[in-house]
Order: sequence, then C-alpha cells, then structure tokens
Amino acid sequence: MAPLTQSAAPPRPARPLLASALGWAQENVWATPWQALGNLALLLFAAWAFRGQLARAPLLASVIGALWLAGLLWLAANALGHRPDPLSQWLKERLFASPPSALLTLVIVLWLAAAARGLVSWAIVNASFAGKGEHTGATWGVIFANFKLFMVGQYPAGDLWRVWASLALAAALVAALVLVLGPLRGRLRPARRLLTALWLLSPVVIWLLLRGLSPGSPLPPVETRLWGGLLLTLILTVFAIVVSFPLGILLALGRRSQLPGVPAWLTALVVGGLAAYGLWTYTLPGWPHATTVLERVLLLWPLWLALAGVLFQRAYRGNVAAAASTVYIEFVRGVPLITVLFMAQIMLALFLPANFDIENAYRVMWGIALFSAAYLAENVRGGLQSIPKGQYEAADALGLSTLQQLRLVILPQALRVVIPPITGQFINLFKDTSLVTIVGLFDLLGIANVVIAQPDWLGLRREAYFFITVIYYLGCLAMAQTGYWLERRTGLGVR
Amino acid sequence: MPMGPDRLRSTAAIPFWRDVRVLGVLAQIALAIALVAGTAWLGRNLLAGISRLGSAQFLCADGSSHLRCLFNFMNLPASFDIGELPIDYETTDNYWRALQVGLLNTIKVSVTGILLATLLGAFTGIAVLSNNWLLRSLAHGYIDIIRNTPLLVQLFFLYYGVILALPAVSDSLRPGLGIYLSQRGIALPWPVFTGSMLPWLAFLLLALIQFQVLWLILGQREQATGRPTNRLAWAGLSALAVAAAGWFLVAGFNDNQAVLVSRGARVGQARSTLEGLEALVLDRLRIASLSPADLEQVGPEALQEAALKVCVVEGSPSEPNLARLLRARNIPFHMEDFDRADQATAAYAEGECDVFAAPRVVLAGERGTLENPAGHLLAGVSELPVVLSLPSLEGLNLAGGARLTPEFAALLFGLVLYTAAFIAEIVRAGILAVHRGQSEAARALGLTEGQRLQLVVLPQALRVIIPPLTSQYLNLAKNSSLAIAVGFPDLVAVTNTIMNQSGRAVQVIILVMLAYLSLSLAISALLNWYNRKMALVER
Repeated sequence: MAPLTQSAAPPRPARPLLASALGWAQENVWATPWQALGNLALLLFAAWAFRGQLARAPLLASVIGALWLAGLLWLAANALGHRPDPLSQWLKERLFASPPSALLTLVIVLWLAAAARGLVSWAIVNASFAGKGEHTGATWGVIFANFKLFMVGQYPAGDLWRVWASLALAAALVAALVLVLGPLRGRLRPARRLLTALWLLSPVVIWLLLRGLSPGSPLPPVETRLWGGLLLTLILTVFAIVVSFPLGILLALGRRSQLPGVPAWLTALVVGGLAAYGLWTYTLPGWPHATTVLERVLLLWPLWLALAGVLFQRAYRGNVAAAASTVYIEFVRGVPLITVLFMAQIMLALFLPANFDIENAYRVMWGIALFSAAYLAENVRGGLQSIPKGQYEAADALGLSTLQQLRLVILPQALRVVIPPITGQFINLFKDTSLVTIVGLFDLLGIANVVIAQPDWLGLRREAYFFITVIYYLGCLAMAQTGYWLERRTGLGVR
Repeated sequence: MPMGPDRLRSTAAIPFWRDVRVLGVLAQIALAIALVAGTAWLGRNLLAGISRLGSAQFLCADGSSHLRCLFNFMNLPASFDIGELPIDYETTDNYWRALQVGLLNTIKVSVTGILLATLLGAFTGIAVLSNNWLLRSLAHGYIDIIRNTPLLVQLFFLYYGVILALPAVSDSLRPGLGIYLSQRGIALPWPVFTGSMLPWLAFLLLALIQFQVLWLILGQREQATGRPTNRLAWAGLSALAVAAAGWFLVAGFNDNQAVLVSRGARVGQARSTLEGLEALVLDRLRIASLSPADLEQVGPEALQEAALKVCVVEGSPSEPNLARLLRARNIPFHMEDFDRADQATAAYAEGECDVFAAPRVVLAGERGTLENPAGHLLAGVSELPVVLSLPSLEGLNLAGGARLTPEFAALLFGLVLYTAAFIAEIVRAGILAVHRGQSEAARALGLTEGQRLQLVVLPQALRVIIPPLTSQYLNLAKNSSLAIAVGFPDLVAVTNTIMNQSGRAVQVIILVMLAYLSLSLAISALLNWYNRKMALVER
C-alpha cells in the first residue's frame, strides 16, 4: 500500500514550451475526432473569410487580423506565465474562450467591419443631404423635404397648432402623472382622482381638437382622410389601446364566467323551434331544386343550427357569456388582421343601414381595436387564472359585491401580473397599424410610399424605409420602457 | 344563540329576484336575446345590403335566385392570370380552382417558412447563449431590431430595396454553390428524381430494415454482455453500405435513358455514347481534345457554333442527367427546351438539334414517327437515381434548378427572418428553463455531452418550448397574408381579385376566413398532438 502521507512534493519541473502547447492542444483542439474535424472546418472557414476581406479592404482586414493575433499572443503569454491580468481575463471571457470561439471572433469582426464600412459609406460618406445627384450613397434630402408629410400627413398647415396642443396636453398629463406617482406620492388624494378623470377624458378632448367641431367654429373640421404619417399611426394605436383594453377585460371575464347557464329545455325549445321552422319553410321547398352538394349543405342550415345548439349545451352548459366570448376570441385569433381590415372596409357598409356611412379611417380603427381585443382578452385571462381561489372566497367573505370584488381585489392583481404580455401586445398593435397601408390609409408606411412616388424623390425607398424603421424602433423602445417602468412601479415579481 | 330559533327555521324562501342562480340565468337569457337580436339586425341589414348590390348575388344554375346558391358564382370562369402556379391553372378554370391555387401558395410559403424559421430560430437561440460575447451581441442585436419594427416595412424593404435592386439576369450575382441572384429572383441547384429512383427506393428500404435489425441485435448483445457496442456507427455504416451498393447497381445496370441521334453521326461506332458525342464535337472543332487548354484556342463564337445541340422536354429528368454527363467530359452543349415530346421530335427531324434526349420508351415511340426510322439510332446513356439540376444562363433566361420568384423569395425570407427572431427568444428561454442541476447530474452520471443534450436537456426544454412555438407557427401562417403587399398570389391576394371581379364580397370573405380558420386549426392540432407526446415524459 502506498503511504498516505508524503513528504514535500518535488518542485514541478518547468515544462518545455512545445510540450505544454501540445498538451493544451490535446485537451482543447483534438480531444475527440469530431472536435478536431469541427475545429478544422472552422479554421478553413475563417481563412476563407479572411482571404475574402483581404481582397476587398486590405488595410482594414490586415489591421483586424493583426489585432486578433496580438490578442491571442497576449493571452498565450499570460497563460504561460500564470500571471493573468485584467485585460487577458476580459479577452478570455468574452472573445477567446475556446479555439472555435476565437475563430468565430475573427470572422464576426471582419464581417461586422465590412458591413459597417458599407453602411457608413452609404449613409454618410457618399451621401447627399440635399436633392438627387451624382453621388452613390443615400439621398437624405427626401427626409428633410418631406418631414411634415412624414409627421402629420396632409393635415392643414394652418391647423398644425392643434396637433401641438394635443401633444402639449398629453405631455402635461404625463408630467402630472409622474409627479403624483413620484415625489408627491401618498399626498394629494383628490389630485389623483382629478388626474384619473382628466386621463380618462383626454382621448375625447384630443379627438375633438384634431377632428374639429362644426365648420363656422374656431375649430373647423379636418377630415380624417387628411390625417396621416406618424400622427395617424399614433391615433390608430391609442384608439385601439383605449377601446381594446376594457373590451379585452370584458371578454376575458366572459370567457371565464361561472354563471349558471340557460337551462337545456329552453335551448332545446328555442333552437328546435327555429330549426323546425327553417326546415319547413326553407329546406323542404328548396330541396328538389338543389343540384350540387354545396347547395344541399347550405340548404340544411337548420340542421347545423340544431347541432350548434347541442354543442353549446354540451360544451358550455348553456353559458351564453362564456360561449360567445370564446367563439369571438378564437375566431378573431384564427384569422389574419388583413382579412379583418378588408372586412371592416367592405362588409361594414353592408352590415349597417343604407343611409349610414362611416369614414374609412374610423372603420379601420374599429377593425384594429376589435381585433386587438381578442388577443388582449387571452392575456388578461392568463392573469385571471393566476389569482388563487382564496382571493375570490376572501372577497365573498368580506361581503363585497361582484363588481367590488373585481374592482378592488381581482383585477388589480390580475392586471399587474400580465403587464409584460400586455406591453408586448401593445407593441405588436403599434407595429400592426402599418397594415392600414394596404387598405389605402396614409400612415407612416403609407406616407413613405407616397413620398417616394413623387417625381423629385422617385425610388428612394431605402432612405424612406430606413427613416420610418428608426421611428418604429424608437416607438417600440419607448413602449417597452414604459412597460418596465410600470412593472417596477407595481412591484411585479418583488411583492 | 344570537338569533331566535324562528329565524333559523324560517322556511320563507329567498325571493327569486335576489336569488343569484335565478338572476344568473336571467342575465344569460337577456344576453342571449341581445346577441340574437343584434345578429338578426346585422343579418337583415346584410341581406338588404347585398340585395342592393343586385339580384345576381344568389344566382342559381337554373336562373332563379335563392340563398342556397350563395357560392354558385364560384363555378364561373376566373379569367385572370396568377403569377405562381403550384398546380395547373388556366384562365378558363373556375373560381374554385383559382382559390385552390391561392390556398396552395399560402400553404407552400407557410410550410417552407416554418421549417426555415425553426432552423434559423434554433440557431440564433443557441447563439444568444454562446460564450462568445460578439456572437451573443450580434444575435441580440438581430432579435432586437427585427422584433421592434413592423413586418410589413421589412417586407417592403426586402422586396423593393433588396431583391428588385439586384442586377439583371445577364449579370446575376453568383455567390457560389451554383446559386444565381438577380432581379428575377433566386435560382438554386435542386435534386431531380429520375426513372431509376424507384429501384433505388427498394434498396433504401432494405437499408432501413438492415439498420433496424442490426440496431436490435447489437442492443440485445449490449444487454447480455454489458459491454457497449458502437451501435449507431455499425448500424449506420452498414445501412449506408447497402444504400451505396444499391446506388451503383442501379446506376450501372439501368437502361432507361437514351439519346436519339442520326446514324450519320457515327455515334454508335464509338465505345460509349458519350465518347461518340465527344468525337462529334471534336470533329467540328478540329482539335485533339476537349481539355481547357485546347478549348482556349477556339474562339467563343466557334465554340458556340460547334456546341452539341440537345433537344429536351421541359422539366424532364433527362435534361439534368445528360447535362451532368456532358459537363463531366467538358463537352460544350446547348439545351433546347420544348413543352411536349412531339415538338422536340419535330425540331430534331428538322435538324435543329443533334440529339434528342429522353427516356428510352419515349424515344422508341417518337422514332417511329420519323420519316426514316432506320436512319436513326437510340444510343443509351447512363442514369443516376437522383441528379442535381443546376441553374444556368440560357440567353436572357435562367434554365434548370429551382427558381424562386422575387415575390416568393421576399415573402419567404421576410417571414423567416421575422419569425426566427421570436423563435430564438423561445428557444433561449426553453434552454434556460432547464435547471443547471439537471446538467450537473447528467455529467455526474457519466453521460457524454451528446447524451446529456439528447436525454436530459432537450426533452425538458422542448416541453417549455412547444406551446409558444405553436403560436409562432400560427403567426407565420397568418402573416403570410401580407403577401398581397409584395404581389405574391396567396389566398388573400387571389380572393381579393375574385372579390373585385365577381362583386361577391360577403361570400368571398366567408371563404377566406374559413380557409384561414381551418389552416390554423390544422397547425395547432398537429402541434398539440406533438405536445401531448412530449408531455408524456412527465410523471
């Protein structure tokens, strides 16, 4: 048996450089055949990428290659000396963690540099900030010359103060909210009430400001077809949020409602009666004339109605609220927004009485809002499901009415939980407003398409799309940040 | 007791107007009445509105007008063109056929998009977790930008700003691997199955059986001896060997392909058909061999002149098969495409081409129609079960390979790039959801890295990944409706044309919504089934 204790180990002989490098490679480069093969492939790939970039931009590529090599050598020197300094630590953690990682770093830096070079030369070096000319880069003049169009569309220039006033009102309300929730927190209860009322009222006020009153008044009407650009995008988004939020909550509550249902005999009576009447007056007289299978299927509608009645009793036990909400939510979530918009545009006119006409912008606004409500309902339902039963029972025990229970106990908790998905949903909504371009409205995207159809700026698509992409990106970023702020304010995940 | 016994024993029932159950039912009935009344009002308006549009809305075959003939107009001829046809379609076909074309286009772009987006999304999701800071940041940046800008803007940008901005066909970009990028879209090499695919399929089946049998036998031996046998390697290699043997057997001993060539060309006297064809071209060029050095001496015009002219039927596998053989011998050639075999035969008879390449059975029949059948020879050429059809520039057109139109390419890549960013987040979250202890336990058990991923991490991650993945697939299918913005004839685009042409808005919208609802249901049913299968792993 070997002795358990040993005298002081002899000092480790300094391994020669080559042997230690080989040992390292044995462990990290060709430990298994697969690893060796993968590393070889990556090495060839990196060499190919380096050769390609060397041919295109010799100076840049060689500088990058030299820097990469220097980093590698620095790291190796440090590893051999067993004296890691902060720089080599940083390099090892982020860029040179393993041989494949180091090769990947080289390729990514090379390609990123090439992309950045191309972008800078297009957007700045070779660009013109005035009209079209002989330059090869971007023509940013298209943005400067059409800035007003991008922002508000064809909103009359003399009435622009109304847009500014709306913005000022919104800004003031936001500032007041930040004040009340921040420094003045806990004090000024009446001010909070007032602020809530003002917030609830503000969409109407802003709408009146922008839309105008009667022709002779200080606020002459501005037709909705003149609304455009970012203004229209924001109006569509805010309207859809304001309408779909309460509607979504109602739908979610409806889908989860536990109300006692309509008794089966009543459903049987009503549906059966209707089906019998339909069979007698429509199906039987029409049957001999029907020639195709499809015609027969359509003629048999009373039968399908009866079937729906049976399913309704079976699946929902007569709960009309749950059945109607579920059917609405699932139907809307099953079809694309663009079909809903087409439907709003074309079929709404048919659904309403003959003398009743709605402007295109309003139809589209309602289409988006009703569409969004279904998605929101599913998010809210998730929140409702996360509330333990005890909360309902405690509220019942306190003697709260159903409405009080919802307002004071259930919804504040449920909505807080779903702030992240709802934020995501609203961001989607903001992005989806761009679809109104297809149905002929001039939102940010629509106006971009108009701008680049002007003879002076014909075909400058990249510039225009680049600009609106930045605006959309900033908008989404702002919404996401607001979401995070709300999460922190309500102590989501902490309390 | 605070309350008197009388109160407790009181038999007075709760009045019905305060009984929650009764109130609930009444509320439900009121809601039902409101819903029915609302629907009825809307329906009446709708019927009145439709009748304002004219009595032809519900026209039946016999000329009468009845609600049951709601969809009869769909039997009228469509008489509009569709740019992309997955199935045969003529403008004289009816609206149903046009609808079918649109639906198939939607399915085509959705299914391809789902496959590619899953691949790219999984790759990006793993890249986000990489230990390389640059790769991580790059993946983050991609996800961030894509998720925070509208898909429609991205589609417009891709279509007008990228694909339509590519060079014309004659100056196509060629990034390698036989790919052509141009304004007219993308052309890629594509495998084509020939007539000998069927016998090879039998060999593939055999290989599969071989794999299974060996897998089971080695598994039993592993159980019995307790010593690991390298199961996957042995079973896989033997199956590969069977498949490869089948490939060479089928390729060597089939007699499917031939070329029709005049006896005067003396191709039959050579050792093989290909050598004969080579001699034919060499004779014309008056050079010793077809090596690049010798070809260099001949001018491009002369080369064009002397190139072997081949008549083929468009889309037939004979074309890529012969092209492969000619390319291998460096024989210059030129393919003439014809729609039907008899047209190709006529062109051959008039001397437009030197040979007519087609399956032997076709050629035997076609030779009989020639004036002097005995003056022409059927010279056999070899055939592989699968040949790669390479795109090539024929004048101002691209021939061969798989060609994606600019519209399809823009829509597909737009959808893939967009959806992959969302899938990447899901994959990342799924992998992070598997507790670190699971990986550590797997390593402690001595599992290899592959086993750890396959047996421990992936099954648990997939359970988290699949439900949100389902909704991303559904989103992709629904977002494919934005095809209308780039002019790809999907369901919405086709039905929009039908709607404008027939004036039956309501009926068409009903059909579109039904189609999308069934598509959504199909996708979610499929993934729910998969989800249940994965969830069975649970205790």
